[in-house]
Amino acid sequence: MQRKYYSLLLLLIPVFIFNACQNDEYSIPEAKTELQNDCILRSLGPNVVGLNIEFVYAMALGSNIGKINSAQVEATIAGASGTYLENRSFRTNSSGVDTPYTIGNPSSTTGTKTVVTFTKDTCAAALRYYYYIPEEARGKTVSFTFSAKASTGEEVSYEMGPYTIAKMDMKLSLVLSDNNLCYFSVADMIAYTAAEAATKADKIDLVYLYRSITGITFAHALASPANTEYLPGITLPSGVGNSTKFWKVYGLRDRHLANLQYGIYVDDIDFQELDLTSAPNYGINMKAESGAWVETSDGKYRAYIYVNSVNNTAKTMTVSIKRYQMK
Amino acid sequence: MKKYIIITTALLFSALVWTGCSDFPVDEDGLLITTRSQCYVSNFELLGPDYQTVRTKAAVIDTTAQTINVEVLYGTDLKNLRPQFNLITDAKIEPKVIGFVDFSDLTNPKKWTVISGNRKVNKTYTVYVTVQVKP
Repeated sequence: MQRKYYSLLLLLIPVFIFNACQNDEYSIPEAKTELQNDCILRSLGPNVVGLNIEFVYAMALGSNIGKINSAQVEATIAGASGTYLENRSFRTNSSGVDTPYTIGNPSSTTGTKTVVTFTKDTCAAALRYYYYIPEEARGKTVSFTFSAKASTGEEVSYEMGPYTIAKMDMKLSLVLSDNNLCYFSVADMIAYTAAEAATKADKIDLVYLYRSITGITFAHALASPANTEYLPGITLPSGVGNSTKFWKVYGLRDRHLANLQYGIYVDDIDFQELDLTSAPNYGINMKAESGAWVETSDGKYRAYIYVNSVNNTAKTMTVSIKRYQMK
Repeated sequence: MKKYIIITTALLFSALVWTGCSDFPVDEDGLLITTRSQCYVSNFELLGPDYQTVRTKAAVIDTTAQTINVEVLYGTDLKNLRPQFNLITDAKIEPKVIGFVDFSDLTNPKKWTVISGNRKVNKTYTVYVTVQVKP
């Protein structure tokens, strides 16, 4: 009986081997000749009003079949001024450099549609699309339909999105100066002089000052008007007295705020989940590339202030800010 | 000959099993309880909410008096500090430091107990914080 099983097993083994060694026939696949398209998103990070969302839209058809007539992008919300579709196709050369080839006229935008009409006999192109995020898209989602038409009458399209547009605002490179533009308003994202601050006392959230005090490290500071302990030598304009929560941070170098350096992004969710219950209302010895989470005294705004640079001689601090409205 | 090899292998295997199963007790935190009885803090750090040190100089640790004296920078927010203790090998500290510690009540300094590796020696350290004075 056992020998019977062995014989059966021996018979099965060659069958397996025979099957395993079977050659699969291979032939070089033929390129499709009909009009095709593809799209990728190039930009990273949160989509902030005023910045752009960048795509690359690629389209191609068989070289002897016909040529591409036009490419179009339609957004669900019309882009802000500056939105365009490249009229140059880029390819990366052997040195890693993007080399452009003009394929048509500069794009024209009407409402939500941006179109490039091809003037060169082109069967393949990769066009970049820059959608400048408009104010009306804040807090909404936006989607895109990329499409291309060929001389063969074919038409293809590619859907991208939806992409969420951040609610937060952003302002870059605000210069604060000691004893001059030192009254900072988170609500306005502007630094005021003492005279200006007196006219909008309720909007002044922080005071910038630079002090070189022997025996302690004070240097560049941002303090709430309510905390005069950290405002030596400053006489506040009448009515200025807000207490702003201020949480010092080091190493959070937001790419948007740090002039496209580093790879961290502060996004809406960071503000939503921020807990500044136990935060103080001042920060002294602020250094370049440090920052602070901030919450205004009325709780209306939360912000992240990033210190781009400080200048001890000029007694200035350059900051960039992302601000989120809570109420 | 074959018999001897088998016996020797069996004996070695038994020895390995015996060694492998020897009992190393662990405490309620899952940490090994060892034979070390030393019990002290070797270094102390105090970080602000931005994870930068707030010390003006190295903390003074007195292992006899069981005190740690540390001076912090003027303007330090004493309510949100992260103490870090370096302990002798196998020791642990209670209460555990989780998140920020409020040092603002300078009249009631915080205390931590260092427990030796054998969990038989306890030493309570008192951390005295002083703030750099503005001239």
